Amino acid sequence: MMRTALFALPLAAGVLAAQTPTPAPADTSRRPLPVLKVDIPPAATLVAITNATILTASHGTIENGTILIRNGKIAAVGKDLAVPAGAQVIDGKGKFVMPGIIDAHSHSAAESINEGSLSNTAMVRIEDVLREDAIGLYRSLAGGVTTLNVLHGSANTVGGQNAVVKLRWGLPVDSLLFAGAPPGIKFALGENVRQTNVPQTPGRTPRYPRTRMGQEELLREVFTRAQEYQAEWKAYEAAKTQRRKDAKMAEPIPPKRDLQLDAMVEILEGKRLVHAHSYRSDEILMLLKVAKDFNFRIASLQHVLEGYKIADEIAAAGTGASTFADNWAYKLEAFDAIPFNAALMAERGVKVSINSDSDERARRLYQEAAKAMKYGGASEEEAIRMITLNAAWQLGVDKLTGSIDVGKDADIAIFNGHPFAPASRVEMTLIDGRVFFDRNKAPTLEALIEAMKRRPRANTTSGGPQ
Amino acid sequence: MRLTPAVRALVLASALLSHTAASLAAQSDTWALTNARIQTVTRGVIEKGTILIRKGLIEAVGPTVTVPADARVIDLAGKTVTPGIFDLTSSLGLPAAPTPGGGGGAPAGGGGQQAQAATAPRPGLSPERQIAAEIRLTSAEVKPLRDAGITAVLVSPTRGLFRGMSALVPLRDDADAGSVIKSQVAEHIGYQGAQGGYPGTLLGVIAYQRQALFDAQRQGVLQDRYKSNPRGMERPENDPGLDALVPVVRGQVPAFIEAGNENEIRRAVRLAKEFNLKMTIVGATEGWQAVDALAGRPTIVSVNFPAPAAVTGWSYRLSQRRGPGDSATSARAAQRIIEGNAAALNTAGVKFALASGGSRDFLPNVRKAVAAGLPASVALEALTIRAAEITGVGEMLGSIEAGKIANLVVSSTDLLSDSARVSAVFVDGIRYEVAPPPPARTGGGGGAAGSAAPAAQVAGAWTMTLTSPQGPLEVAMTLVQNGTSFTGTMTSSVGSQEISDGQINGRNLTWSATLQMGGQSITLNYRGEVDGNRMSGSAELGSFGSATFTAERKP
Repeated sequence: MMRTALFALPLAAGVLAAQTPTPAPADTSRRPLPVLKVDIPPAATLVAITNATILTASHGTIENGTILIRNGKIAAVGKDLAVPAGAQVIDGKGKFVMPGIIDAHSHSAAESINEGSLSNTAMVRIEDVLREDAIGLYRSLAGGVTTLNVLHGSANTVGGQNAVVKLRWGLPVDSLLFAGAPPGIKFALGENVRQTNVPQTPGRTPRYPRTRMGQEELLREVFTRAQEYQAEWKAYEAAKTQRRKDAKMAEPIPPKRDLQLDAMVEILEGKRLVHAHSYRSDEILMLLKVAKDFNFRIASLQHVLEGYKIADEIAAAGTGASTFADNWAYKLEAFDAIPFNAALMAERGVKVSINSDSDERARRLYQEAAKAMKYGGASEEEAIRMITLNAAWQLGVDKLTGSIDVGKDADIAIFNGHPFAPASRVEMTLIDGRVFFDRNKAPTLEALIEAMKRRPRANTTSGGPQ
Repeated sequence: MRLTPAVRALVLASALLSHTAASLAAQSDTWALTNARIQTVTRGVIEKGTILIRKGLIEAVGPTVTVPADARVIDLAGKTVTPGIFDLTSSLGLPAAPTPGGGGGAPAGGGGQQAQAATAPRPGLSPERQIAAEIRLTSAEVKPLRDAGITAVLVSPTRGLFRGMSALVPLRDDADAGSVIKSQVAEHIGYQGAQGGYPGTLLGVIAYQRQALFDAQRQGVLQDRYKSNPRGMERPENDPGLDALVPVVRGQVPAFIEAGNENEIRRAVRLAKEFNLKMTIVGATEGWQAVDALAGRPTIVSVNFPAPAAVTGWSYRLSQRRGPGDSATSARAAQRIIEGNAAALNTAGVKFALASGGSRDFLPNVRKAVAAGLPASVALEALTIRAAEITGVGEMLGSIEAGKIANLVVSSTDLLSDSARVSAVFVDGIRYEVAPPPPARTGGGGGAAGSAAPAAQVAGAWTMTLTSPQGPLEVAMTLVQNGTSFTGTMTSSVGSQEISDGQINGRNLTWSATLQMGGQSITLNYRGEVDGNRMSGSAELGSFGSATFTAERKP
């Protein structure tokens, strides 16, 4: 009996999404397939993947190599490693092993995406609205993805706080969070923020800002306010110190804690990473200037479709670029996008990742990465890095995951062929050394067809750029 | 809490109009219920005993109670007396939430809306709202519930993120603010966004709640400091909403958070832990998935038994318990899991009260929960003493003990048995006779199934006003009915959508429609209630928040 993956499943929806990109709705899985009961076996303390071709993403390819995993971490990697007694052995003969794929732009695990009622919603947190049962998570896992950057949408200039999650499918929602990931936030520029694509209600005042120059003004205004707020707290701390010396002094009253400004101050202090939705080179240069003026770094530009025009400026700012492989012209501000974007930016020293922004594309990001070799001639390892190590760097987790190196989390995807070969597919996905996806235990094609018959039509939409 | 004189006059007038109400009030003196089987709940069953009621209280109870000369004696041989039951999920007597565009002086969604929002409290965003002051019960509303054995209801608004302070209300015909058993029982909290701005979605709602609770903590500190020494200190701002939350963040007033599915429950527990709230989950329809989160927390479990697909996240979880080939039985299997929720929670050691969750079939649904494995004794406690304890009135109500308020139900046999018939109810010692039900029209039903109301007629052309965080939207809706299901279209300035999954249950409707808005695809799940040619309800807009609507059928 043929056992197969979920690959074939959302083809129709995928084609649709590629042609008419629409923001991903959060609830594509409100009524998901009723067949995805998956038992997640507990993690073994010792796992060995033997005889495999290992694409390390950091130090080349190892033929006939072995990866040793102890307590969820990579303990050793190389040729001719002895397999200790008692290890759970995964035979990698004929298989290709790469780091678990990292999607630097996703909305898959969020029950709510856009709090677009205000232009600054720095106080809202994706972490508050995570859901563990969204079917996109399982499909991504089946496509070798282990880590997602779950972002707020692009409805407003300063969006909400993102959540970096690991795809621990089958466990309660609290298990999703990537514990070591630094906090982050979504920014957005351009047309979505201008609401050029949102029907306006007659008689209702449109939300500010209506232009790109308004977006710049808003950013400068909120950061100026954040500096003032920061100063208020510093003054309070100083007064408290003084009171300890002088008991006659009245006890100082703390400033009102403002969760919105807390997040903005964390950005200024370099504690919160900014991931900025952006398309055009002019708006990107504007943002980099604002960041420079306020002395913080933009961690990643998201979409960054005209990044190839200003790759040097992006590289000089120490900013990463997370883009589509070949998705363009779906709206006016995307008209200058080219498929060579990723390779060209990488050539100029930008740390580039290729993201999905879609439940659908997320399950074949390895094919998306291969396009960077075809368009622009990125090296194989550079292309692999675009969906692993570079994305990890953008999310601030490159010390923890993103490559097959000793000491890192054992987040690993095992393919039956080279990940960039068209017919290859993921056989197994491990997170922290635990097997969360195993094709041999995945639902059968027959079961999936049965499920498709019962799938409500209204829920087949899939996402595009948010 | 007092009513305004005008409202009070209205309530009084409606009570006086009813002669029965006036004469019943005179009967609240002294009763002796003799020869009854007494289910005390807290002190076992007295197979044959007497309950003495005086001035609205239980004066004595036991197998041998001396009946004083002034007592009216009612021989209850063969009958069972049970403490009156509670429904902790009621919105009885509350005015419908004002809807923009619906007249009545509500903001019309025009240019002045932002100015309005700054001054007028927005629906669902008023922690200071005192439900006790708004109680307007009519005999017509009260009687059907009381006839089923319910003697007290906890009234709170059903939507919003900070809904206000609930009130425990006795189901007397003349109940008004003055007869409220307990006001400020709890601050009621939920996950629906406010209309017309921030917070519009679940993301915003939780962030708003967190900020408000931080603000309340600070407000409390400032108030204390100002109270101890106002000299030289700027006075704290007068903010009724914040002031109402101060006792909540101090754990003096409980927070009742409405949370149905697993992730809502976990979110509520996280918020409670973050702010050390005295928190009770209300709903917990998916509690069996979150017993670890509910352990050690008093919980109010609703027995409204939502259809599996109507609750976010249900379908996948339920699918884990069915095979791919058995679609014919899967719906029933799913329903059994839902009905078994209370039993599962009980097995897991969670202490809970049962509540209707807005269902009109409260006791029939409790019987289903018992059939699904909940011990009847636990169910009875959950309807009485545990409900009293959760609302902080365990010393006054919830069992048949001397000194407690005389809220009692007289039935033909055990109240939770299928054949039980309620013949009388006492509320605050006032006796209300219950007329026997009219004979069933057909012989087939048998009575235990909880006779469903006939499906409302919904076919026709409707004009709907949908009010979402994005503003109001006029929708023309055409419905075609086929028994208890319906199809149709919805047309508005943002396009035309086919209606799917249209279902009618009595006067209640549910349906879905997928809206294309600004290049985005949003599936809206609607719930409505029909009243003749009018309909009102709400819509869940997925990640875009929620909306309310009103509709009128064109003649």
